[in-house]
Amino acid sequence: MPITILAPKPVRSTHSKPATHIRNPSSSSIDSDDAPGGANLASPGPGNPDIMDFISSTAATRRTDVDIVTPGETITDDPQWMRGHGTYTSQPTSSSDTLPAIISSVAGTLTRTNKLLSVRPLRARYTPEVGDLVVGRIVEVQAKRWRVDVGATQLASLPLSAINLPGGILRKRTETDELQIRSFFAEGDLLVAEVQQLYQDGGAGLHTRSLKYGKLRNGVFVAVAGMGGGGGVVRSRRQVWTLDAANGGGQVDVILGVNGYVWISKHVETPETANTTTGITNLEESVSATMYSSQNDQIGVETMREIARLRGVVTALVENGLRVDEDMVMRGYHEAVEMALLTGDADDIYLGGEKGEQLAAALMAV
Amino acid sequence: MPREAEPSLNERQFVLQALRENLRLDGRPFDKYRPVELIFGEQYGVVEVSFGKTKILAKTSAELTVPYVDRPLDGIFTIATELSPMTAPSFEVNRPTETEVLLSRLLEKTVRRSGALDTESLCLVAGQKCWSVRVDVHVLSHDGDLTDAACLAVVAALRHFRKPDTSIEGGLLTVYTPAEREPVPLSWLHSPFCVTWSFYGDQGEMALLDATLSEEHVRVGSCTISMNRHGEICQIAKLGGTPVDAVALLQCTNVALVKVKDFSAFLDRKLAEDAKRRDKGGLMAELSAENDR
Amino acid sequence: MPLDTSAYSLALLRVDGRRWNELRRIHAQIRTQAAADGSSYLEMGHTKVMCVVTGPSEPGPKRGGMTGGVGGGGGERSSTADVSVSVVIAGFSSVDRKRRGRGDKRTLELQSTISSALAASLHTHLHPNSTIAISLHVLSQDGSLLAALINAATLACIDAGIPMTDYVVACTAGSTSTYAANDEGADPLLDMNHQEEQELPSLTVATLGSSDRVAVLVCESRVQVSRLEGMLAVGVDGCKQVREILDRVVREKGRRMIQEGTIEKGMSLDDMDID
Repeated sequence: MPITILAPKPVRSTHSKPATHIRNPSSSSIDSDDAPGGANLASPGPGNPDIMDFISSTAATRRTDVDIVTPGETITDDPQWMRGHGTYTSQPTSSSDTLPAIISSVAGTLTRTNKLLSVRPLRARYTPEVGDLVVGRIVEVQAKRWRVDVGATQLASLPLSAINLPGGILRKRTETDELQIRSFFAEGDLLVAEVQQLYQDGGAGLHTRSLKYGKLRNGVFVAVAGMGGGGGVVRSRRQVWTLDAANGGGQVDVILGVNGYVWISKHVETPETANTTTGITNLEESVSATMYSSQNDQIGVETMREIARLRGVVTALVENGLRVDEDMVMRGYHEAVEMALLTGDADDIYLGGEKGEQLAAALMAV
Repeated sequence: MPREAEPSLNERQFVLQALRENLRLDGRPFDKYRPVELIFGEQYGVVEVSFGKTKILAKTSAELTVPYVDRPLDGIFTIATELSPMTAPSFEVNRPTETEVLLSRLLEKTVRRSGALDTESLCLVAGQKCWSVRVDVHVLSHDGDLTDAACLAVVAALRHFRKPDTSIEGGLLTVYTPAEREPVPLSWLHSPFCVTWSFYGDQGEMALLDATLSEEHVRVGSCTISMNRHGEICQIAKLGGTPVDAVALLQCTNVALVKVKDFSAFLDRKLAEDAKRRDKGGLMAELSAENDR
Repeated sequence: MPLDTSAYSLALLRVDGRRWNELRRIHAQIRTQAAADGSSYLEMGHTKVMCVVTGPSEPGPKRGGMTGGVGGGGGERSSTADVSVSVVIAGFSSVDRKRRGRGDKRTLELQSTISSALAASLHTHLHPNSTIAISLHVLSQDGSLLAALINAATLACIDAGIPMTDYVVACTAGSTSTYAANDEGADPLLDMNHQEEQELPSLTVATLGSSDRVAVLVCESRVQVSRLEGMLAVGVDGCKQVREILDRVVREKGRRMIQEGTIEKGMSLDDMDID
């Protein structure tokens, strides 16, 4: 099959704008033929013939689509912009006196913060930020810290000094603590934590010094693709919530780690949630010895089924490329319950394949 | 496993800065080889090649075997490379490193696949008897540019080698000892040589020939070009590394051709000298059983 | 199976009916494996390869465990990410059903070439102490294997969101004359299939994006040096075409994701009012 590369067709507009060295998006005939109707992706911004001339002169990397940029694509060579993540500047060679241009290094969407241009990749590993709530798994136990897989490019570390001791005692960590480090977390344990600091090389330091955080029990773990695309957890106001499950499932906790790891478990009444007063004194009382227990509580079959249904909802959301957040999960869950009722079997929790698509379609329609 | 020490940042910058000022650590021009030495051993097929401190020993040997079933008309020709801990502690026995694999692949492609040795001439009785010629390449000391030196050593060893003469009469194969008949050289078709360029700089704009080990550590890419003196490319290998301008690569091949012609002339001269040395009293012509065809 | 090369000069058509400067059909997909960080599937004619990228991620205690330091310091820490490539050539991928072992030198050479070519384009300095594991599977072979592997690996790395200078794209080029024939009328050919690779001199060239800078140049057959320039020019030009095709695949994927609302729509620079 002969491959013909068609020349880009510039968007002509009657408006004019002061000419700047900014590359305009141009819609090319290559992409337009199979574009689903109605989706207008062309830029609302006015094009400028002068700019278009500039583009065609540097046609080596041209934009055929408004929304995404791809590696090697020149975003701008206007010196007033600063480069952020996902971009790099070309080194101007001595032979050509071109300006240093900002070039994209990933495929993704362009974002701007004041004068900082960055490209958010369509999909990438989780990049930790201070304050993120993450779910992680211990992969290595060292003398004074744990190494935790949080789905980032590097293992996060959780120092021994950044956890709550059983009983909530506040004291310096001693050698005894170091020796029995595995009694707190051992390899393979799941935990929920917060990113406390970022190290120079991009690794994260975690802490679990809150009653919200700590070891995870009584539930099921789901990993969805990380931030940035392919469906995933987005940073939102509420990452952790408790819901009343249908069909007598009792209360179920859902923890959406920002890193794309999700934990769904049976809600266990803790003293902390029972009385609302907080403080150091309360902490001491409430952090019970069961905090680092690796033993699951008794979970009813109904609860287990609803946990599994929630898990199915999350996977169906991911498979159909939908966002995973509180709103979507809750709506998806109610939809799933109704779908099960319609089939006449409330115990039917299977949400793969066609049923998943059906669920996604129902969610999209609303 | 003792690991090879990485050069420090200062070392790197020193070498690079010097290169930017058109200087190499040993004062050579960019496109000049170190003094090349080539010594033939007492036996046929043994040769020691050195490029400065890089030293390589190649030995050719031959034995009679049965040809491979799928190639009954071809003799067997193998090149075995050996980078032992003698060369550098980071090389281990029986665990080929990437350097070794790439070196042996390069020699294979340059000498064997380009058809430098006529393997059909090694076959004696189709499907039953053939010569198995094997070149063992031992790296005695590694100071950069192994490929070029190893390739020269292999080609020299093969061209110097003499295999015992044979004859077939009435289906009877006779192998003559050197005392009975003077051994005969291999049927050699052309002599390929490798020329390796090392690239430096962000865009790979500086190209060096015959890099020493410290220069090899700092390089951002390399390109090995194998050619014979007739200007036939036998193999080109630029296996990754920093991208280099296509035009610059073409220039590299042109310079490589000049170097290959130099190598070719050098080897011819050395072989002639060696033949003269062995031919005491001019008896060789009488002893030879070969006809002038 | 001798190729009737004489037929070419009559109609200027190659064995599969292409002209000298035509690529075979390239079909590519990204994000084929949901579980992987990045994945791709690529067909160049009948050469079919799959690629899965894991990482950049820190190698767990399995590898670094022995040297893993006590307390603060890990083992040896590198300032850049490692690019490790593994190529698996399926036994059924070629006609002769030959099994290639893990230690096969040709495979090792392919691996080291791909690793070093990508490492030069990927911004490995952004991910210290981590490894980018690229795993390639060859499902079917019909020439231009190295080129297909490089293209698939590039796509998978883009899918994984690993920053890179530009696409590393590859294709093959050949020449209609055999090395012996010194005829001046020989045409360069683009994108060799298996049959042509067997019969004619060919080379694989990979460039950085659509520039003329050559990252990989591998020639394994005898060819006159005068022929090189033409072959290289055709190859570099082919790489530009391949880049366009791959770029279109990535953009198409990105556009679909925006339509589905998976990712937020980006902004274009003209919307940004510069204050």
